[in-house]
Parts: sequence; structure tokens; C-alpha cells
Amino acid sequence: MTKWWLLLSALALWVVSGYALVQPREVDAEPASADRQRPNRIVSLAPNLTEILFALGLGQSVVGVTQDSDYPPAAADRPKVGTFWQPSVEAVIATRPDLIVTLAFEQQKDLARRLGRMGYDNLVVDIESVGDLFRAVDAVGQAAGAGAEARELNESIRAQVRRVQTAAAGARKVKVLWVVQREPLRVAGRDTFINEMIGLAGGENAIGSTLYKYPPIGAEEVIAAGPEVIIEPTMAKDATDLREQAMSHWRRFPNVPAVRDERIYVIDGNLVSRLGPRLPAGIEAIARCLRPELFGE
Amino acid sequence: MHPPLAPGTLLFRVAVAALLLALVMFLCSLAGPQAISLKAALSGPASPTTPNPDYEILLHVRVPRVILAALVGAALAAAGVTFQALLRNPLADPYILGISSGAGLGAILAVLSGFGWTLWGRSPIAVFAFLGALGTVWLVWGIGRITGRHHVTGLLLAGVVVNAFLSAVILFLVSIARSQQFYATMFWLMGNMTEEDLHVLWIGGGCIAAGIVGLFFLSPQLNVISIGHRDARSIGIAVERVQLAAFAVSALITAVAVSLSGLIGFVGLVVPHAVRLVFGPDHRQLLPLSSLVGAMFLVVADTAARVVVAPAQLPVGVVTAMIGGPFFLILLIRYSRKVYSPA
Repeated sequence: MTKWWLLLSALALWVVSGYALVQPREVDAEPASADRQRPNRIVSLAPNLTEILFALGLGQSVVGVTQDSDYPPAAADRPKVGTFWQPSVEAVIATRPDLIVTLAFEQQKDLARRLGRMGYDNLVVDIESVGDLFRAVDAVGQAAGAGAEARELNESIRAQVRRVQTAAAGARKVKVLWVVQREPLRVAGRDTFINEMIGLAGGENAIGSTLYKYPPIGAEEVIAAGPEVIIEPTMAKDATDLREQAMSHWRRFPNVPAVRDERIYVIDGNLVSRLGPRLPAGIEAIARCLRPELFGE
Repeated sequence: MHPPLAPGTLLFRVAVAALLLALVMFLCSLAGPQAISLKAALSGPASPTTPNPDYEILLHVRVPRVILAALVGAALAAAGVTFQALLRNPLADPYILGISSGAGLGAILAVLSGFGWTLWGRSPIAVFAFLGALGTVWLVWGIGRITGRHHVTGLLLAGVVVNAFLSAVILFLVSIARSQQFYATMFWLMGNMTEEDLHVLWIGGGCIAAGIVGLFFLSPQLNVISIGHRDARSIGIAVERVQLAAFAVSALITAVAVSLSGLIGFVGLVVPHAVRLVFGPDHRQLLPLSSLVGAMFLVVADTAARVVVAPAQLPVGVVTAMIGGPFFLILLIRYSRKVYSPA
């Protein structure tokens, strides 16, 4: 038995000396402050954050982006620091950043925390809804020393959204089924920013509240929901064939109003999957599907 | 067949394996998505205003991560050896008694809860995964005790069913998660290596090393138990006590490993078999050698995970299976011919 006691005491000693020798490094909890020097080497870890930075006129200072940052076109030539889901901490450090902007979900928050421990300034913003977008633009502007530009950008986004909203306003809300994935069928639920965008475009989600953000639904639900318009966002460059495919897929529901009236649309996913400065364009793209007559089509 | 084990041979082999591990760790900390120069890295952190990226990358990113991979690999391989001996089942691995699903459930609950606190540098995912792993093992062990003290079938079945049940709960929770939470969970379930703080490596490493030494103390008894409980009892071994101690220690080091790095499959299954095929089944040798080989294997696999699709990275669990599977099959064919051929 003695050897076991020896082992346990050795472990206890090791742990205690660990507390004494290697304290956890203090995480710099204080966010990038507004009054310090304007950062000139910014790394963005999400395509919509890249869009915000460029829209604030900070494009020159962006020294690292994720692989999917393709807008504005200038962003695509910036050094890549990994993917949106798995950014590379080494690649971020190699760009010698003085500000790292990330979103607030687990991987990115974690990366920001790790870089923060090494002493890098970072800004974590949560963009889950349209309201969040305006707050995020303000926060990025504050941290990057572009507060005035941020207010301007927010004003211009609000004005454009209002313009589309007024143009698209109708007596009646159009019922929309937003298809995220066809097989197995998943659609956008109520608790999503897509739902907000549909609302701003003068429509209404055909699906009611569920437990799910993006509920998987069955044929029965499609028929019961009775959507007047079906929208499928796509990431593909060329959407002409996709519309044909979508039509032939949905023909199995001939009594659904959207299918009967052939009101099935495939739209550019990049416009409607990123909450960024192009929000008004996304809302307009949706509004064109809902009421093509108002937009002269 | 393998000759009986002499203490000198054991010491020599362990020393060679330890040296090899040190070499592999050194070489792997030089490889990564960013090319760095060792000379620049060793020139120090430069001034506080202009950081030295080479130094930061080597000392704050790569070295901690390589050490973490070695620790986790050693823990999983040692736990795998023990579970295979105790359950007398070649398919046993560290996750067989529900640790993986318990830890997975803990992890996804932490992700869904959205907690932002840290407990001494550990995120809620690590803490919940650790608790989930231990809770599940305790549950399975309890059920195993009820169903039969003297045979391991009840324990195995309880492990399989609890695993299946908790996996279903995980799948349900994943299905209602937002896509970002879904991805966070999936990457964790496929093995999630990051650089860790020194104090985390210090404490985790201490627990794992102590656990492996403890299991080494038990290895003579494991030799007998792996043949059969009745034989063990007949030569005066307290089978239940040894079983309980070995289970507890290996479950603990597995839970520590899982909370450090997510679920990394294959190391705990394949490394013990490979070492057994090459060096023989004596647990006094199998345990230390498997730990060292497991450490080497995971360091190499994690380096591949970091480098192959750089600057993105592969889930390390995928790499361990893709390197480990074919390699193990080659060993199996080569050595089983040697062992079982009549000549």
C-alpha cells in the first residue's frame, strides 16, 4: 500500500506546486478601448464582419480574413487565416494584428479568448438579429476608431431598409416558405434573422413557432402551411438550372399555392445569409420575390 | 512467441520509446501552417510593442499543443490497455463504458447553455464533459454491479446501451441547436486540440502521469485477470478490488483526456493492440510502452491535422482513424502470421 500513498502524495505535491508556480494567465477582460491608438492591422473572422470593416472605410487596415470573405472583391485578396468554423490561431498571429474581430459563437469566442490570453486586443460581437447588426457596427466602429463612420453607416442602412419596406408594403402579408435544405426538408423558423428579413420585405413566415430554429418538416406541414411563395437561397454561382430543379422538386405538391402559381424562387444566398451592410439588398431580393409587380418585373 | 520479460529489456525499451517521443515532439513542434524559423523563435519575445510572431507561435501555440497531444495520447492508450484486460475483450477501448457519450452530452449541454464563465482557465465545455464522463461511468459501473459481480457481460451491455441512449439524446439536442452550436459540438465530438495554458497542462499532465503509474502498479494483477477471474482468485488476487481500482483510475484519466481535447477515437483501441502484437502481452511492458507509443501517435496525427489542409485544420479524430486503421491492419496481417504459423 505504501507505494500508492507515495503516488498520491507526489500528485498532491505536484498540484500544489502547480498552484504556486504557474498561475493562470490573467485574461484581458477589458475590450479594446476607444481612446487608444486607431488600430491599423485588423483581422476579421467572419465574412459579414469583413463587409462591415470595408463599409466603414477600414479596408486598408484589414490584414487577415477568413476563406469565405469574398465581398467586397478587394477582401478576397487579403491573407487568409483559416475558415469561418476553424480559424487558425497561428495564421492570425502571423499577421501581427492589433485588433481581432470575431463573432460570438463557441469556436470564435474561444479563439478570441485564447488570443486575449496572449495579449492580443479582440472584439467579440454577437450578430444574430437585425438589431444586433446595428449594435455590432457601432461596436466595431468604436473599437477601430471609426465611430462617426459607424453612425453614418447605420443611418444609411436604416434609410435603405425603410425605402424597401415602404416600397414593399402591401395590404396583405405574403406567406413564405424559406427552404434551407430540400432533402431532408428544413426551413427557416420564426426565431431567425431570415424571419425578420421576410417581415421587413412585406411577407410572413408560413411556418409557426417551433422548438427548432430551422425546423425539419414533413409533407403534411408543407401542405398545411400553404405558402404562396417558396424561396430557396443558393451559394451556387449560376442559378438558372437550380430553378428548374426546384420546380420539378416542388411539383409533388400541386395544391400548394406557391407551386400552383409557379412562384418558386432561387436567390443568391450570400445576400441573405450574412447579416452585414448588404442587408437592404437582401431584403430587396426577398421583396422582389414576394411582389414582383411592384419592382417592375 | 514472445520470450518472458526481463527487467533490463523493459527498461531499455521504455527508454528508447521515451527518447523517440521526445524527438517526435521536437520535430512536430517545428511543423505547422506558418513557416517559422527556430533561430528567430529562440531570439525571445522581442519588445512589448512589436511582437515576435515566430516566438509566439512556437512557444504559445505549438509547444503547448504538442504537449497536450502527447498527454492525451498517453492517457487514452493506457486506459485502452486496462479496459481490454479488465473486460477481456479485444474490442474494448477507453470509451466503451459510456465515457464518450456522457462527455458528449455534457459538452453539448454546455454549448446550448451558452455559459461564458471559465473555471480556472477551463471552459464550461471541458467542465461539463468531465462531469458527464465520470457520471456515466459511475452509472454504468453501478448497473454492472447489480447485474453480476463475477462476469463482465453485464457491464459491457450496460455500457453499450447507455452509450446508445445518450447518443440519441445528443442527436436530439444537436437537431434543435442553431447551426453555429451544431458545428461547435461536432468539432468537439471529432476531437478538438488547441493550445492550452501552462497550468492546465501542468495539472492535467500530473493527473495523467500519476494515473499511468498507478495502473503500472496494477499491471502484474492485470496479467492474471486478463486470463480469467477464476484463475486470478485461485492464486489469491483480490479480483474485485483490483478491478475497481483499475476501472476508477482508467476512467479518471480518460475523463481528464476527454475534457482536455474532446473525443479522439482509435488511439485507445489500436495502440494497445499494435504494441501487444509487436512486443507481447505482458502488461508490465504493455502499459508503459503503449502510453509512450500512444503519445507519439497522437502527436503525429495532430501535426497532420494541423498541416494537411492549412490554414484550416482537420478534426484530429478523423486523422487518427485514417492513419491508424490501415497501419493497424498491416501490423495485424504481418504479426499474426508470425505468431500463429506452425513453423
